[in-house]
Amino acid sequence: MAERKTERLMNLIFALLVSRQYLTKDQIRESIADYRESTPSAFDRKFERDKEELRELGINVEMGQNDKYFNDEPGYRIRRDEAELPDLELTREEAAVIGLATQVWEHAGLASESTTALVKLKAIGVDVDTSVLRMAEPKLSTDEPSFDAMWDAVTRRVPISFVYARPGRDPMERHLQPWGIISWHDRWYVGGFDLDRQASRIFRLSRVVGEVTPEGAAGSYDIPEGTDMKSIAQTLFPPEPAEAAVLRVREGRGQALRRLAEKITPLGDGVDEIELRYSSRWDLASEVASYGPDVVVVSPPDVREAVIIRLTAAVTGTLEVSP
Amino acid sequence: MSRSRQQVVRMLALVPYLQGNDGVPVNEVAAEFGVPAKVIRDDLRLLMYTGTGEYAGELIDFDLTALEQDGVVHIRDAEFMTRPLRISTREGVALIVALRTLRASASGLELKVIDSALAKLESAVGDTVSAPVDVLLDEVDPTIHGTIVEALTSVKRLELSYATASRDEQSNRDVDPRRLFTEQGKLYLEAWCLKAEDLRFFRLDRIVSARVLAIDAEEHDAKPRDLSDGFFTVGEQTPYALVDLHPRAHWLTEYYQVDLLEQNDDGVWRAKLYGADWSWLRRLVLRNAGSITVIEPDMLRAQVVEDARTALRAYDEGVTPD
Repeated sequence: MAERKTERLMNLIFALLVSRQYLTKDQIRESIADYRESTPSAFDRKFERDKEELRELGINVEMGQNDKYFNDEPGYRIRRDEAELPDLELTREEAAVIGLATQVWEHAGLASESTTALVKLKAIGVDVDTSVLRMAEPKLSTDEPSFDAMWDAVTRRVPISFVYARPGRDPMERHLQPWGIISWHDRWYVGGFDLDRQASRIFRLSRVVGEVTPEGAAGSYDIPEGTDMKSIAQTLFPPEPAEAAVLRVREGRGQALRRLAEKITPLGDGVDEIELRYSSRWDLASEVASYGPDVVVVSPPDVREAVIIRLTAAVTGTLEVSP
Repeated sequence: MSRSRQQVVRMLALVPYLQGNDGVPVNEVAAEFGVPAKVIRDDLRLLMYTGTGEYAGELIDFDLTALEQDGVVHIRDAEFMTRPLRISTREGVALIVALRTLRASASGLELKVIDSALAKLESAVGDTVSAPVDVLLDEVDPTIHGTIVEALTSVKRLELSYATASRDEQSNRDVDPRRLFTEQGKLYLEAWCLKAEDLRFFRLDRIVSARVLAIDAEEHDAKPRDLSDGFFTVGEQTPYALVDLHPRAHWLTEYYQVDLLEQNDDGVWRAKLYGADWSWLRRLVLRNAGSITVIEPDMLRAQVVEDARTALRAYDEGVTPD
């Protein structure tokens, strides 16, 4: 069954591609066995579905008339100059990075999409030799069950709803016009216009529970001009460090803090004084506390206080502290 | 995408590809298209029922003797399609996002090559591709990144100064670099460490300094570790702590290897928290003290208390200038 449909689609594409003229529906029906053997109404249904299928495949079927003056019946064709892949004139290095790019996806569907693109380039004579470059081999994984549905919604601009569950909170149904998705720290996020909050919001895909439901037609909303996923995702990133802190750190310890240091002054007795900038008191206090006795906060007083609270809780083993 | 749609896409690419590579072995075709050889054979069989008409000469044909005896493909009567169809939006987006990922982990001259490849590809796919998909990797020091790429390209030994997080130490070592890759959104160098006499991974943002030495890197016979499950896999020997998590610390269950055991009404969760080693676990507990407490083992709980007590003494003694 599936094979018969594949065969029919291939023949339809070939017929529309080689014809210089618009083919009428009757001519198309005559030239393809499966159509010919169908009843007229079955043929109509099949033909409509097949046209839709070609559109989904990204093949543009043009409708028109061969002779406008004789009120011809409208016909169909695929314009070869629009349908065929033009020459890309890629350099050896450019071809190599495209070759490397096809190894990035750890997702069967997207790996196969990018492989097909590469094969098309090879078919027009692009020579792909990835060994001319030695660069990083990044991988993009997509472990989130909602990834495929989100990818589809984002690339086709389909409004969606889904159940969102943040840890320790009640799951809630959310309604979103997705603008884009972004991978950060190997996790996927979707950003867009939140119809419940009437504002732009970002959601973590791993917190989406169950199915993603389409709530409208493809392309039924516009993405505001100049939308940049990086700026929408800004809420994910720590702000620029502005506040100054002074720490005393045992020699050779506090490695992560040393990398952030603006100035390191040896004080003798195996202790260094480190000056650095930070953006979150909470995060700096956490980092300092993690080093135990190796790092002591000199200033500012509120970070000192936050570290003391943290360490006191560690001694008593209690769970209640004010943030 | 449905299987039959995938097959149509593949067959449409096969027709011009096979004409440009006359006599190519089936196995090579399969490797190029990333599918088993049987799939390609099925495609070829089906292609023989397709063409521009239904008569001999209008249907695509293959040299079946060559196919069956030598496993090579000679395609005939397919001159009506010698060029592939345009890269579709879906294919284009998949490839463009992959290139953006490469770009996020590239350095120096590589960036220019990737940018020009992206520009050419975007123009070939057409303006329908705005690809609302982005990939962010943490930035690393471009000097260190560039030095490592230079050593890889020129096949030279590297001298690294490296900070380990769990033991909080810095050490110097010479390594023969093998490859750069990403894991969990971070860049890593895989290299043969001459000190450990084994393969090691170095996170680029923990490399304090790097220098290319005037010594050729050597080939070392070592099997790279299988990373398909990530760096950290829980085994029988993996240290773990039994902990209580305040709601503020529930996020830990999304980031680390955790077995959730109980969820109490007061919002406190009891869980097994796995770590690469005990010092890593100790630092994690201290970092989140007040939001996490150790129930077991006693040894870890005692260490945390001891560390915190000693640390607090410095504040009692008033280390501030005033």
